[in-house]
Amino acid sequence: MGHDPLSSLPHGLSFRFVDRILELTPGKRVVALKNVTLNDPNLQGHFPGNPLMPGVLLVEAMVQTAGLLLPEGSSAVLAQIKEARFRRPVVPGDQVRIEAERGGGLGMLHRFTVRAGVAGDPVAEAEVVLAITAPADGGS
Amino acid sequence: MSEIRERVRGLLATRLKLAKAADELGDEAPLFGPGGLGLDSIDALELVLGLEKEFGVVIEDRATAVQVLASIRTIAEFVEAQGKD
Repeated sequence: MGHDPLSSLPHGLSFRFVDRILELTPGKRVVALKNVTLNDPNLQGHFPGNPLMPGVLLVEAMVQTAGLLLPEGSSAVLAQIKEARFRRPVVPGDQVRIEAERGGGLGMLHRFTVRAGVAGDPVAEAEVVLAITAPADGGS
Repeated sequence: MSEIRERVRGLLATRLKLAKAADELGDEAPLFGPGGLGLDSIDALELVLGLEKEFGVVIEDRATAVQVLASIRTIAEFVEAQGKD
């Protein structure tokens, strides 16, 4: 089935918050899915009896989605989160559709607008900046 | 020219949330680095995107940004040289 773009994410599976890529226009726009399940260890304590995907992990999923638009093989860190909004809770059974668009950049900095939705309703949005710390060629 | 400078000052105030500092900032005052306003690279990106939206001017690379974003005066000169408003 060819190369899986998801494998370009450096995160181990225990910290992977993107399950599938639906659409990918390299460097421009990506749409991905995150499925939320009741047995997710992160939801065991957040909260007992009232499982809810932590907003920071939703942001992490959005940032990882944006990261799929960076040049493959480059390493990057999160440099900015702004205009983050959470419009409704994300709960087990939800399939989160995350759309990231690159909105410009300067040097090693790349700005993205990211929106997340469940069943067509917006659940979160944010502007994030990723800073490439090691370019795709390893900086050599 | 002075109108462009005021619009640039407005950009600093709104995009970087520097309302008071931008009001008091001289046209020649350095925006970056020690002794200046102390802006960083993320502020530079914000300014580049703001200038593109406000004036339609594009700053492609970091080297150009370093020159153009030195002060309100250098930004205004760049905008004028691009012949757009």
